[in-house]
Amino acid sequence: MDKAEQILAALGGADNIVEIEPCATRLRTEVHDSSLVDEKALKAAGAFGVISAGTVVQVVVGPEADTIATDIEDLM
Amino acid sequence: MTQLDVLAPVPGRVVALAEVPDPVFAQELVGPGLAVDPDRTGVAVAVAPVAGRMVKLHPHAFVIQTADGAGVLTHLGIDTVQLAGEGFELHVAEGDDVSAGAPVVTWNPAAVEAGGRSPVIPVIALDAAPDSVVARQAEGPVAAGGVLFTWSR
Repeated sequence: MDKAEQILAALGGADNIVEIEPCATRLRTEVHDSSLVDEKALKAAGAFGVISAGTVVQVVVGPEADTIATDIEDLM
Repeated sequence: MTQLDVLAPVPGRVVALAEVPDPVFAQELVGPGLAVDPDRTGVAVAVAPVAGRMVKLHPHAFVIQTADGAGVLTHLGIDTVQLAGEGFELHVAEGDDVSAGAPVVTWNPAAVEAGGRSPVIPVIALDAAPDSVVARQAEGPVAAGGVLFTWSR
């Protein structure tokens, strides 16, 4: 799996994503069910950190966020 | 080892990243650095903190990569991605080579603040070791183009 596939899987898969939006440093994601989010797997996929607040999960991936978000959208 | 001087993109007050109201920057998740709380003097021009190629350019944030591969992120305000570019005028294009101190973005820190967002500007040494950034500028006033910190790499 490439990075985008790993991150999507760790967020609980395409069905769990409400919205995914890139910022300069992170993917801002809203999920249906935050219990399906696997922080360990996100870090294993290369995330520098994960900041969760309810169903909003910010995956810190650095400046490649826009490229990764496009790749994830292509998978969905 | 080389020493890279990273310049302040705007005039303002130097603050530690720990004071930035965003956990990604405050916890140095994308790298160490310093932040500038910009002067609220109306429309202002943010300049390039280092010379290099503009490898990522958003209206509210940009990354310059130096010739030897150091990446420096400048992020104009917190949560400013939500403004979708409104109030930010770019003077360069992605892929352009810029010199240190060259104008990059015109914006208005006071307007960002009036919209309920912090206009503080984290300047980040991407992928740097935490101890490789030497704070040259003590917390306090800084001029645009003044040395903000030195990155040993």
